[in-house]
Formats: sequence, structure tokens, C-alpha cells
Amino acid sequence: MSVLVLGGSGYLGRAVCLELEGAGLDVVALSRSGSAAAGRGLRGDVTRHNLGLFGDELAELQAEVTHVVGVFGSVDWDSGPAQALDVHATGVRNVLRFSRACPKLEALVHVSSLLAFGRAEGRVGNRELYVGQDFRNWYEYGKYHAEALVREAEDLPFTVLRFGPLLGPDPAGHALGAGDGLLAAVPYLLQGYPVHLKHGGRFPSYVGDVVGAAEVVAAAVRTPATGATWTWFDPALPTVAEVMHRLCRPWGVVPKIVDSAVVGRVQRLVASRIGLPKALLDYAEPWFDLDPSVMDTLPGGPPACRPGYLAGTGRALLEPEADLQGSFT
Amino acid sequence: MTGRFPEIDIDPHPRFGVYSAGNLGEVAPQRLSPMSWSLVGTPMERGTRRLVRNVWGERAWAQGDHYVFLGYFGCRPYHNLSAYAHLSRQLPRVRPEDVTAAYFEGVESPPSAAARESRLGKAAAVPRLVRELGRLGPTLRRLEEDVYVLESLARTAITLRSEAGLTETVLKAADLLDDAWAAHIVTTTGLVPLTVLQRSLNDRVLGRYGEVEPYLNRPRELVWSRLHRFAGGDDLLPGEFLDSSFYEVADDRLPWQPYAVRHRVVAEGTAHSSGVLDPAEAQWGMLGKTRGRIVKSLARVVGETMASREHSKSLVMRLLHVHRRVLPHLAAAWNTDDDLWPYLTIEEFRRLYREPGLAERVPARRAAVESALRTPMPEHLDMTGGVPRVWADDLPKKARGVSPGKVTGVVVHAEDDFPEDVPCILVCESADADVAPLLGYVDGVLTQRGSDMSHIAILAREYHLPAVVGCALVKELKPNDMVTINGTTGEVYVEQ
Repeated sequence: MSVLVLGGSGYLGRAVCLELEGAGLDVVALSRSGSAAAGRGLRGDVTRHNLGLFGDELAELQAEVTHVVGVFGSVDWDSGPAQALDVHATGVRNVLRFSRACPKLEALVHVSSLLAFGRAEGRVGNRELYVGQDFRNWYEYGKYHAEALVREAEDLPFTVLRFGPLLGPDPAGHALGAGDGLLAAVPYLLQGYPVHLKHGGRFPSYVGDVVGAAEVVAAAVRTPATGATWTWFDPALPTVAEVMHRLCRPWGVVPKIVDSAVVGRVQRLVASRIGLPKALLDYAEPWFDLDPSVMDTLPGGPPACRPGYLAGTGRALLEPEADLQGSFT
Repeated sequence: MTGRFPEIDIDPHPRFGVYSAGNLGEVAPQRLSPMSWSLVGTPMERGTRRLVRNVWGERAWAQGDHYVFLGYFGCRPYHNLSAYAHLSRQLPRVRPEDVTAAYFEGVESPPSAAARESRLGKAAAVPRLVRELGRLGPTLRRLEEDVYVLESLARTAITLRSEAGLTETVLKAADLLDDAWAAHIVTTTGLVPLTVLQRSLNDRVLGRYGEVEPYLNRPRELVWSRLHRFAGGDDLLPGEFLDSSFYEVADDRLPWQPYAVRHRVVAEGTAHSSGVLDPAEAQWGMLGKTRGRIVKSLARVVGETMASREHSKSLVMRLLHVHRRVLPHLAAAWNTDDDLWPYLTIEEFRRLYREPGLAERVPARRAAVESALRTPMPEHLDMTGGVPRVWADDLPKKARGVSPGKVTGVVVHAEDDFPEDVPCILVCESADADVAPLLGYVDGVLTQRGSDMSHIAILAREYHLPAVVGCALVKELKPNDMVTINGTTGEVYVEQ
């Protein structure tokens, strides 16, 4: 089997390449940088026609690829519509077109996000995608848009994977960044500011270990594609408060989490002055009500996360190379 | 270019001296017959004056024997760029650059020497303009009924060869044409301050408004898709005009035919529909109730005004088509040479029966027209100082994205057969509503001409197609070339 990993140089992409190569598969990692943690690196761009490939290189790749895995697009809750749609709409259309031109294609594995549910009301599961929800930001809409496009491509054998926020030390040894996603809260918490979380943050975070997510991707590559949607997150289901505590523990800091609407409003007013991404504040309330049985469809059951992956994330942020986006450290 | 052609040219305005083909140049034939000019330019001038009178009151700069807002030189129709730039200065916050970006492909705006309104006068104009915009709905509904009745009258008169019926049609059409052009002018003028207001408000509410705006300002349904169901035939049905030139009523005869090229008409494709939620709907949810309501309301007003603009234009075109069908029959009924009427204005033609001597003007005018048609006319014309000069170069300005999205596809032209297995980018010099039937079959639009409020920009937004206008590359692109267009940034790549 020859697997093309789109976005192979990213956080999840690196873990996926390592996992697939460890399983004995031929891996081609396509990214704008062309670097690869495992397998063969290939320079390309999913937002360009034919993924930015030309001539013989394109023809040979299309002739040999049996699986396409899409893990491209960084987690950027501050992105605008143009950026989000460029990656998640144009990019996915290009991937679909490329996949249709692969004669040996057995499966397209599309990695989506649970955040595609936005502020969905009512219980949601693998079957649902759009249930009338509002979106907090263009990233969420982009993930929704991308998944909707893949679901419409009924002529292709695909599997959709949904993950929550992925954490854990990078299996390829790269430094972590705390600029985007949940990790963007860390510098703020470490400075000792109080943070408002509804119910004191005692609601599910749906986080998962990046290595566990890579195992799910590998399982999807091994399993015949039937248009199914799989969801995976840490089966221990840590709450947001628990995640924050564990991330901060290596620093010897206990985050000040309060359930106070006043603090929430003040945070919103001063967010830009204290370096807190406003988009993060939209996740201070329970996200959505996810059907607990969503992981039952995973073949062989849900993979476990690496023990201590949350504290490991905090320790990785302590490394000198870690990017804390100009925090006080 | 040379000097004037007294028999056909209008006198240039003594104070507003810079003219631009602008929006007319994008979509109208390069040259218009005197008859068509009198059905296009003259009522448009009356409509603009009516708007100025209703909004600002009697103003000396918008009156007089000269055309103020339009121009007709060397048989080419122009907008008076100086006058429109001046008009823009009569409203709060609106700058001439907003007008040129919206309708004149971003050409440099000329200085204005005329007096501006006071702050109070500018502020007072706003509710009056809102009132004019508020009247559009009932006006367009009334016109829709009246134009349909007129088409029925014309159909009956042509069938019965009734001279009285044909005459009545032409007389009744005059007022309707004035009203339809006036409605078109209200929408065209009103869109500029509306978008300025929207930009100003949304900059505060949304932060990154420039990125979001094209997703918000999408008309929900334009009149063209309905009219294209009635295209074809010769029964003067509402969509029959779509088979003809939009502005030239003598488009089936020389010397006007070569200027009135039409795109082919095909079975209508529908607007691209997908089960994916529209980005504009997603934006409302991100804003919360109050902010969302403000942004949504304004976007709806802009979208509806865009739709009204297209509706008023369709009514004008239907009325022009009534003239296209009736005038030859009426000329025959009056025993007049069939080649004569395009060289007269509609006012002269109406008097022809009572003043047969008017026909004797035609030979001299025909000679003047032939001379004018041999003379190249620039896009932008500076008539200040009495000597015609080119105001700005005719080259397309910087390519601009007018309908968001990014797509890669093969180049197709309107007259080509479209491949079914690959995405297609419709590439043309300019595009009017006549390409609407093609838009259901393509995945993007790229034009050499166009502005932010061009008809193609509005159509592409309705069809959710990425569109880039003002692209100089268009002339070099051949069918089956592969291009990528980005309707957000205006970038165009030719793929290997």
C-alpha cells in the first residue's frame, strides 16, 4: 500500500507518518516545506491545482497511491474566512479531484474535527454534521465545510475521522507551540490571571493524544472505506479544568479557574491587552452534547492515550525550543 | 481622436469635463446608434436629474441645456465622470474613489470645481435617499405590470399591423422608459453610500470586514434566471430581449450589428447549489444576536438593492426591445425607408409623421456617423479646454476579486463547447446579464473589464462563483489553458 499523507509535516501529520511507516506502509508526506518525519517528503500545496504537482511527478504519484490521508490545515481559531476556506474548501476540492485521478485508490481518509459541530444543540453523534449549529469562528466553519464536501463525494471510498483538540509530546521530537487552540490559554494561566469557565470547567474537553489519533488514522487506512464517520478522543474524557491543571502542573502552577460571568466579561474586554486570544473565550462554556456511544464504531475499540500525555504536553512546553508566543517566560 | 461631429455629438459640459465609458463600456456596445442613444442616454440623464432634485433639491450644477451626467461622442456613450465624482461629494463619508471603484474600474477621479453641499445639506440628503430607495419595491412592481401590458399591446399591434396601436406603444413607452431608467439610477447611486456605510459599520463590528464583505453582499435571487425561461421566440415575451443586444435597438442592421455581439444562449444552468451552509449564514452565528442583526439587516438591504438594480435594468431592456420590434413596423406604416430610423432620435421619430422633413436630416447624419465610426474613441475622455484628450489609459487596472472563492479550471469562452469532466473558467472581455445562462455550467469567471458593482460581479455572487475582473491576462488566455483564480484576492495564476 502506498499512502499519501497531505500535511505530513504538521503536528498530526508527523505522528501519522511515523505510525504508518511503522506499520510497514510506503509513505509519501506532502507539505509546503517538503519535510517528512518518516517516509518520503514531497513539496506541494493542497490549495493549488493538482496539489501543486506537475508532469511526471504528478502522474507517477497518482499511478501508485492507494490511500490518501488528509491531515492538512493548522488549528487557527483566529483565521478569517478567506484563509479558512482556502484550506478547507479549495484544499479539499483539490484533494477530491486528485483522488478521483488515482486509479488504484482504495480509501480517502479525511481528518475532520469535533469542533465542526460548533455550538450544536441537542445530542450529536457520528451521523450528524449540520444540525443548525452556530459556529464560533471560521476554523470551525472551515472544518464543517470540508467534511460536508467529503460527505458529498459519494463516488469516492472515504472515511471521515473526527478528533477533538490533540495534545501530547510530539512523537517526532519537534518543539510544541502554544499559539493556537487550547494551548493558547497556557501562558495566560501561568501568569496567574483568573479564568472564567462555566461550571468551573467541569465539562468534557474531548482532547486526545496525538499518537492515539495517529493509531486511529492507521486503522482507517487498514479498514475498507465505506463512507463511515469515526470519532475518537481520550476515553478517560478529562474535563477542561482537568486538562488545564495537568498542563500547568510541570510549571508548579495551579490555574485560577472561576465560574464568574463578570470575570468572563472583563476577560473579553482586556483580552487583546493581556495577550489572550479572544477566540479562546468562546470555549468557556460546554461545547456540545456528544453521544457517548460514538466510539463504539471504531474497529477493535478506541486506542488508549499515552499515560501522562497531558502533563507531558506541559513539560514539552517547558523546553527552551517551545514557542509560548512571547509570554513572560 | 479628432474633434466633434456636430450632427451627432452632444456639447460637452462646460464644468464637468471628464468622461468615462465606465460601466457602460463594460456592457454596452462600443458605439450606439442615435436612436439607441436617445433611448439610453437621454432618459438616463433625466432619471439622474430627477434623483438629484428629489434628494438635494434644485441645484444649478445638475440643470441646464447641457447633458450633465452622460455624454455621446463619436457615437460612443459615456458617463460624465466629473459629474458623478461631484455627486459622490454631496453625501457624507462618500468619496469619488468609492464611485470609481464601484463602477469605473478604479480609474483616477477628476477634481471637482463645483461647490459642495454644506454638512447640513449632506446630512439632509441621507433620509431623502433612503426614501428613494424605499420606494423602489412598489415602483418596480408597478413597472413590471405596465411593461407586461405594453408588451401585450405591442404584440397585438404588430400582429394586426395597426398603425394606431404601434404609435400608442411608442408613446406609452416613453414614460415607462423614463421611470425604469430612474429606478435604475436610484439603485446604482444608492449602492455606493450603502456599501460605504456598511464598510464603516462592519469595520467596527466585524474587525476584518474586507474579507467578509463579498460573502455577505449576495443577492438571493436575480431576475435573470426567471427571464431566461422566456428567452427565444418572437412573441414579445418578457425574456425575448435576451437574444438581442442589450442597448442597441438596431442591432440587426449595419453599421451597428458588429458592435452588438451577443453571447450564445443555451439552456439555463442553475446557480451552483450544494448542501453546504453558506459562509454568510455562518457569519451571522459568530456575531451574536445584536451584532448579527445589525450586520445581517444591512447586508440584506445591499443585497436587495443589487437585485433591484438588475430588475430595473431588465425592465429597461424589455422596453428597448419593444422599440426594437415596433420601430421598423411603424417606419413601414409611415412609408419611411427602413434604414432611416436608427439615425433619428426617438423624439425626432415621434414627430416624423407630422414633420416628414425630418427625414432629410438623415443623409448628413449618416455621413457623420460613418466618419465617427472610423475614429477610435478612448475609454476615458477629457473634454476640458475644448480640445478632446485621453484622460487615463485604457488598460485594465489591477485585477480585483469581486466574488470570493478560489478555483482552478480550464479556460472557456462563451462561444465554446464546455467540457463536462473538468472545471471551467468563463473568460471574456466583459460580461453582462446575458452570460447568466452560462454561469450554471462554469466554476469561475474571469473578465478583462469590470468593477466592484459590475453586473458580472453581482451575478457571480448570486451563483456563488469566484470572479476576478480587470485582468490584463485575459487577452492572452486560450481555450483549454489551465488557470487558477482567487475571487477574494484577485490573484490569477496560469497553471503549467
